[in-house]
Amino acid sequence: MAALELMPAAQPALTTTEAPPSTSSSQPSQKSMSKAERRELQEKQRAAKIAQKQQPPGDAPNKPKSKPKPVAPQNPTQPSGADASRSKDATSAPTMDAAEMSKSRNLRIFSHFGLPKHGPGLKGDIHPCIVRLALQFSEFKICGANARCIATLTAFKTVIQDYTTPPNNTLSRHLMTHLSPQITHLVSARPMSVTMGNAIRQLKLEISGSDIDMPEQDAKDLLCQKIDDYIRDRIIIADEVIQDLACRKIKDGDVILTYARSSVVEKVLLSAHKQGKRFSVIVVDSRPLLEGKELLKALTSAPPVSWTLSNDSLLPPPPPIPCTYALLPALPSLITEATSVILGAHSLHSNGAVFSRAGTALVALMAKQHSVPVLVCCETYKFSEGVMLDGFGKNELAPSHLFRDISTSSQEPNLEILNPLYDLTPPSCITAVVTEVGLIPPSSISSIPMALGRISL
Amino acid sequence: MASEVSNTPTQRAVENLAWKLRRRQIVGSRATALETLLVLRHVISKSRFSNMEQLVTIIRGVGRRLVEAQPKEHSVGNTVRKVLHHIREEYHTATRGSAAASYSGFSISKFVLLGQPRKNTPLPKAESKGTLKENDPDDPDSFARSLKPVLMEAIQDVLDELETVYDNVSKNAQNHIHSDEIILTLGMSKTVEAFLISAAHHRNYTVMVLETAPSYGGRDMAQALSAAGISTFLVPDSSLYGLMSRVNKVILGAHAILANGGMFAITGSLLAATAAHAHSTPVVVCAGQFKLTPLWNLYHEYGALDFGDPSQVLGFEEGSLVDKVDVVNPFYDYVQPNLIDAFITNDGDHPPSSIYRLIKETYDDEDNEL
Repeated sequence: MAALELMPAAQPALTTTEAPPSTSSSQPSQKSMSKAERRELQEKQRAAKIAQKQQPPGDAPNKPKSKPKPVAPQNPTQPSGADASRSKDATSAPTMDAAEMSKSRNLRIFSHFGLPKHGPGLKGDIHPCIVRLALQFSEFKICGANARCIATLTAFKTVIQDYTTPPNNTLSRHLMTHLSPQITHLVSARPMSVTMGNAIRQLKLEISGSDIDMPEQDAKDLLCQKIDDYIRDRIIIADEVIQDLACRKIKDGDVILTYARSSVVEKVLLSAHKQGKRFSVIVVDSRPLLEGKELLKALTSAPPVSWTLSNDSLLPPPPPIPCTYALLPALPSLITEATSVILGAHSLHSNGAVFSRAGTALVALMAKQHSVPVLVCCETYKFSEGVMLDGFGKNELAPSHLFRDISTSSQEPNLEILNPLYDLTPPSCITAVVTEVGLIPPSSISSIPMALGRISL
Repeated sequence: MASEVSNTPTQRAVENLAWKLRRRQIVGSRATALETLLVLRHVISKSRFSNMEQLVTIIRGVGRRLVEAQPKEHSVGNTVRKVLHHIREEYHTATRGSAAASYSGFSISKFVLLGQPRKNTPLPKAESKGTLKENDPDDPDSFARSLKPVLMEAIQDVLDELETVYDNVSKNAQNHIHSDEIILTLGMSKTVEAFLISAAHHRNYTVMVLETAPSYGGRDMAQALSAAGISTFLVPDSSLYGLMSRVNKVILGAHAILANGGMFAITGSLLAATAAHAHSTPVVVCAGQFKLTPLWNLYHEYGALDFGDPSQVLGFEEGSLVDKVDVVNPFYDYVQPNLIDAFITNDGDHPPSSIYRLIKETYDDEDNEL
């Protein structure tokens, strides 16, 4: 970014207060952004005219080389350069008008993608553990549907314990109003995952249903107990059941292909290995998150040390899981070797579509084309009731300041870098969904939440 | 066969190129084609021959040497084949006059093609030739002397075609791209770049460029396109499927176009073509005709023919992983013809089903094995 600050000396150096990506707080909504952008555009054009006049003619041929591209530092995820107080330096660029025009159009295409809004300060009294959690979310230190849900619920336990009902109010009525700014704060760090939404909905139900006559501490303890139960029943135990079910589908000699990293898939592979099954794993990975490396680390360091169990004699430790690692474009060359594909999920929709890490849909599609069975491991608490038709409708962009490579850091006015985080796998590409209630075809997803009663925190 | 090339400077030129190809100092279809052509011109101008067979043997020898040096660069062999084809054409026009026009003109499609500009060039030269004497015992060089200027002209034709390939591929670009379309492309292809930039002169549209790991050629492409004033999005490969529902057209480059209408292209192409197929999005391939290769995919139906550096995928900074994991980095994909909707070449647009015909017309059958 710093290189972009370099401007020909001849230019009227206006204020170049570059806003580093993380500090562009209080980002306005899309509508006002485009308005601000228009204003900025006008000002830039004006500046461009001045620059054109002032620039000595000899300077012109020099320009393209030194790349003083018109639009000054911009964060690609906040491409509008929202705050007009920001750099208004602009050189003469004839294409500028058109470029800006098309850019605003582009923004329209992607305007509904959740751009990560950076913490709008602390509104209301936010519990410190929520503040910390929000930071961890926004920095992708805690990432993944299960991890985020567990972390959120654990943090809420602390919040609930530290909560005291104000006088003339009841816990069942007031606690939720206390929690909702905390939730808002978390969502402002990163859009809420479906898992968090489901868990919070359950929590709300429990809170509103808590007994008014119960002493406050008891009620809080009961709520925390319910949260623990939820984590245990819907996530931990569910994962164990899924491990068990999915392991049965892994045979000796299998080649399991998986994409990126799902905590459940990792557990499945490790437990199958622990059971002594001999199989190999192909890990397919892709930018921006490159989570597959984490999975690789977990798999290659799988057996602690020993495993020299003795039935009658000492057994040698089983060899580590043979792993192959490749990036997504290499998938077509590898899918022919795979005997089954096991994937994780972010959420599951009632039409059977799986919303998951970007790239999952490609893996499932290729697997289907090669008649390789696709298993999706997904706890029932990840079910979402809506129907989704494509991954474009609802998505989330990775903040590019976290996942930027050096080579892409230089900024062209027309170039924007987008890192969508999710995509939607159509149910036709999925053979079966492994849930804690069994292996079910994606078409019967819609019947499952009912079977579980859903009100089972 | 190098013995055919008697004089050492020629041999040196050939060996020089062979080593450059082998060391991958020259990469890319067009660069290799150009270099091959220059070497062939050098060889023809320097070598001595007294009849047609000798000349063909010399060129084939050189061609074989170069192809063996780098079998993955198909355009080397293609250029040799094309030069051989042109030489024979010139030879026949020189010996039999205008009757030679009927040579290899047995297909009705050839007849149709004569109306096209490229085919017009070789024919009018037939008049200027005098009588050619092969194997003249008194003056063994007379054949070479009288034929060489024509051959140089023929090679110049091929050279011109190579040099204008980007312009000719992109001349109809605005017919393929409409206003407000969203185009998806990947990798760094000069042909596609020229095509998109040419279309941008007439149309206002958006391009999404996949990064195309692990080479990340897409980043260069995105830079080049955005510098040309096209609104460009650089997206990671993983978002391909998610974005495909909004993409109107997928435009790909090719490494080599095969006789069945399939192609070899940078890894990621097959994934993009498959995803496009699933969304019924048209897939268009931009390529010069020097990429037409009289080969079938003899390797595997899917998969790599060539492998890149694994450290691009998993670098040595991941020290603890590197020795425990197999890392795969295939360089090319094979894209089947059924996934491709059209080839846009410097000589018109063709469906994959008619590629075999183009190949028949561009090369002589006897040269398919050099």
